[in-house]
Amino acid sequence: MRFLVAVLAALLLAIPATAQIISPAEMLRSSVTNFIRPQTKAFATRTAELSRAMYVLCENGDLIGAQNAFAAAATAYGRLEFLRIGPLMEDNRADRILFFPDRKGIGLRQVQQLLAQADLSAATVPGLQQKSVAVQGFGALEFVLFGTGFETLTTSDGAFRCAYGAAVAKNLEEMAADIAAGWADPEGIARRLTQPDPVYADYRTTTESLEAIVGLVSHGIEAVRDTRINPFIAKANGKANPKQALFWRSNQTLPMLRANLDGLRRLVELAGIVADPVLSGEITAAFARAETAIAAVTSPVEEAVTDPAQAAALADLVTATQVLQRLIGEDLSATLGLSVGFSSLDGD
Amino acid sequence: MWQRRAFLKSAGAGFLASLAPRQLLALEANDLVFASSIQTSAGKYGAVLMGERGDVIATIDLPDRGHDITISREAGRGVVFARQPGTFALVFDPFGNHAPQTLTSVEGRHFFGHGVFSPDGRLLYATESDFEAAQGVIGIYDATDNYRRIGEFPTYGTGPHEMLLMPDGSTFVVANGGIETHPDYGRAELNLDTMDPSVVFIDRRDGKLIGQLRLESGLHQLSIRHMAVDAQNRVWFGCQYKGAPSDTPQLIGYATMSGEIRLIELPPDTLRDLRNYVGSVAASSDGTTIAVSSPEGDLLVAIDAEQKRPVLVETLRNGCGLAADQTGFVATSGRGEMIGIAGAERPQQQFDFVFDNHMLRLG
Repeated sequence: MRFLVAVLAALLLAIPATAQIISPAEMLRSSVTNFIRPQTKAFATRTAELSRAMYVLCENGDLIGAQNAFAAAATAYGRLEFLRIGPLMEDNRADRILFFPDRKGIGLRQVQQLLAQADLSAATVPGLQQKSVAVQGFGALEFVLFGTGFETLTTSDGAFRCAYGAAVAKNLEEMAADIAAGWADPEGIARRLTQPDPVYADYRTTTESLEAIVGLVSHGIEAVRDTRINPFIAKANGKANPKQALFWRSNQTLPMLRANLDGLRRLVELAGIVADPVLSGEITAAFARAETAIAAVTSPVEEAVTDPAQAAALADLVTATQVLQRLIGEDLSATLGLSVGFSSLDGD
Repeated sequence: MWQRRAFLKSAGAGFLASLAPRQLLALEANDLVFASSIQTSAGKYGAVLMGERGDVIATIDLPDRGHDITISREAGRGVVFARQPGTFALVFDPFGNHAPQTLTSVEGRHFFGHGVFSPDGRLLYATESDFEAAQGVIGIYDATDNYRRIGEFPTYGTGPHEMLLMPDGSTFVVANGGIETHPDYGRAELNLDTMDPSVVFIDRRDGKLIGQLRLESGLHQLSIRHMAVDAQNRVWFGCQYKGAPSDTPQLIGYATMSGEIRLIELPPDTLRDLRNYVGSVAASSDGTTIAVSSPEGDLLVAIDAEQKRPVLVETLRNGCGLAADQTGFVATSGRGEMIGIAGAERPQQQFDFVFDNHMLRLG
């Protein structure tokens, strides 16, 4: 025993305190095993719970339970929605899970119409899957649970509304299970991403795989800013538009933003992709700045945008995302020797 | 081809005096001139004019990232269009006699990266987006009146990208990529489930729709974005696929003014390495070869336009820009490299700036 301790001590001494060298292959493996698989699994669990909670609501009228389950499932999605590769991008799943932004309110109109007509084909999963992507996911379910007329859910008048909501939840459960299964598959995208090979269509080299991971984080931060914050905060003309915020009805706007940034931060940390201590400190500080800004927004968005202190916090959140995008898209890419291709990934 | 003599002649005597001796030498030495948007090593955006041998003749500063460039000998001007969705286009004098002029997109419209001059150089046309209506338009600018915007034509679709003037000089061909974006949401793509891309032929004189061609409906997520015209007036196009990444649709095709549109068959290996993303398309000087590039897959492919099959495959890391030279094609990359392919005889060159997606050959 004493010998073992001595050997261990010698080994520890042999490792310089500053050495934190993680091979690119290890970063890729960590991305999948430490972040992607656990998070997709958690999302599958939360949506299964949501589906059960909707069933209980329709049977026993537990509205609060269903609303809470909605928030838990939505934020579980918020932590991984930037993983726009693999199973999330198959079968239009990203749009079917959450059709947003929906600038013209197409989803709202379609959901209202479907409720008004009590369209029974929308109350089964196969029927629902034939319909517009905008009536299949979280946006639709939020209106069912929190939008005009939600009180009827606990009465016989709301029977169709509840059945439709239960079908949406079941649809989400199915998609989440498919995403988790896709990432869990040892022969699937996880293998191609972590053990790239020139014969694969998607990931041929370790560098390409790493570029994909860093690109996801960089684009994820950009998407949070461009589609989740900027659309509702005050513009140059001073006018805010809180109804353009995601999930304003359920007051989940800020929890969703927190989940988005939390997911992005966790991937960066858990994958060990930032070896440089200075850069690591800057990235940690920028995520902390974003978290502080989110924590300062305590009112529902409609009030927050008119309150000077909270509006300033939202503006600071935008700044934090700009800093993060530079640190990750440019500085981190450079230290990893990646070219987050100047000529690619921009739809030009 | 813009030969040196024509180049000098069209510029008139005035510009010669204003060019620095080094630039003059560069012009003297070059029969061909290339132009591209760039990003410098310091992160600044600009455009560059280069001689046939890759020697830098002039650089132009840009307020933000540029995309394609068009140049008119008749107008004596070039225009760099902002990368989509952009709010500026910069008109410059290739010879440096006149200060650049910045055009700002009008209210409710954004530039979409590409444009052309009329054959006489009097009008400039730009692909733009009417983002509230999610409809494409061609903005029309009067080059003889300070580039005043004098009107617009519809593109009969959403998300127009590249536009070309057909060799008849009176017909535009526009690639409606089909993707809706809105400035409230940055570059987010808002309608991937309901995309409706098309190739349209439009009468340059009155904006009337001459023809609109769509791929079969199962391919509605295949965004048609870049084009080049071959010797038989076929419009070759390259696509970017927005559907499931595991799908492998064909990405290269051609359309004709007689109403034909089809995708050609690339072998599975070549298709795989295009990564569902074609970044640019160019025709050779004689119009018998088409080159396409994928910066995503680091691949360049030359296609025999008659046989409609690939004749050469080359790799170039993040390679995208393509332009014909006398004998083949010049290709540039987002890593600052320039090479020759498909018969072009030139050494590989490395620059201290990186190239944007498109390379223009003047002439």
